Amino acid sequence: MKNNIRVERAIKNITQADLAEQVGVSRQTINTIESNRYVPSTVLALKISRIFGKPLEEIFMLEEGD
Amino acid sequence: MKTRFLFPYWFRYLGLACFLAHIPIMLFFKKYHNMDSPDTGLFTGSHVFFIFTTLMVTIGLFLFAFSKEKIEDEQIMQLRRDSLQWAVYFNYIVLIATLIFTEHMEIGHIMMLNMWTLLLFFIFRFQWSIIRNNWSAKKEG
Repeated sequence: MKNNIRVERAIKNITQADLAEQVGVSRQTINTIESNRYVPSTVLALKISRIFGKPLEEIFMLEEGD
Repeated sequence: MKTRFLFPYWFRYLGLACFLAHIPIMLFFKKYHNMDSPDTGLFTGSHVFFIFTTLMVTIGLFLFAFSKEKIEDEQIMQLRRDSLQWAVYFNYIVLIATLIFTEHMEIGHIMMLNMWTLLLFFIFRFQWSIIRNNWSAKKEG
């Protein structure tokens, strides 16, 4: 699964730490999601997309092979 | 995030204290007690001491291994599960290898050590994956 959290963060001008605090996880978790090393749970994915005010599919998208 | 079956964060320090405290106790005992002729039987001096120190190490490692992290989230839970699985696999590989390559007189010692190795492997693996995540998070600022 791919995501464009990094891009969305840049648009909103917030850091990984800010986003982490708003969704209630550690900064390391946001970091591993951004670098595609961790796939978040549905709950966390929904929380993240709510912060950016966009539907889930615009932030997270399936890759080939998923 | 709701977590079950985990001790509060500060229990890790309690565990560490238990583990470290057994070292001076052990050294003191070895110095002032004749280890060559231990008294035999249940609940004699040596036996109680043996139970006491063994439990201290075990409980210490146990608390350290299963206390919460400062920020407990779903990724930490996943790391914990992965590390636990890895530790069980690794422990059994080591156990089987040592059983094959040692004489059967020493099996008691191996089993005794085995009480701690699983916890130790788990702690090392879990802490290592946390440290690795911290590094890469720091690198990217």
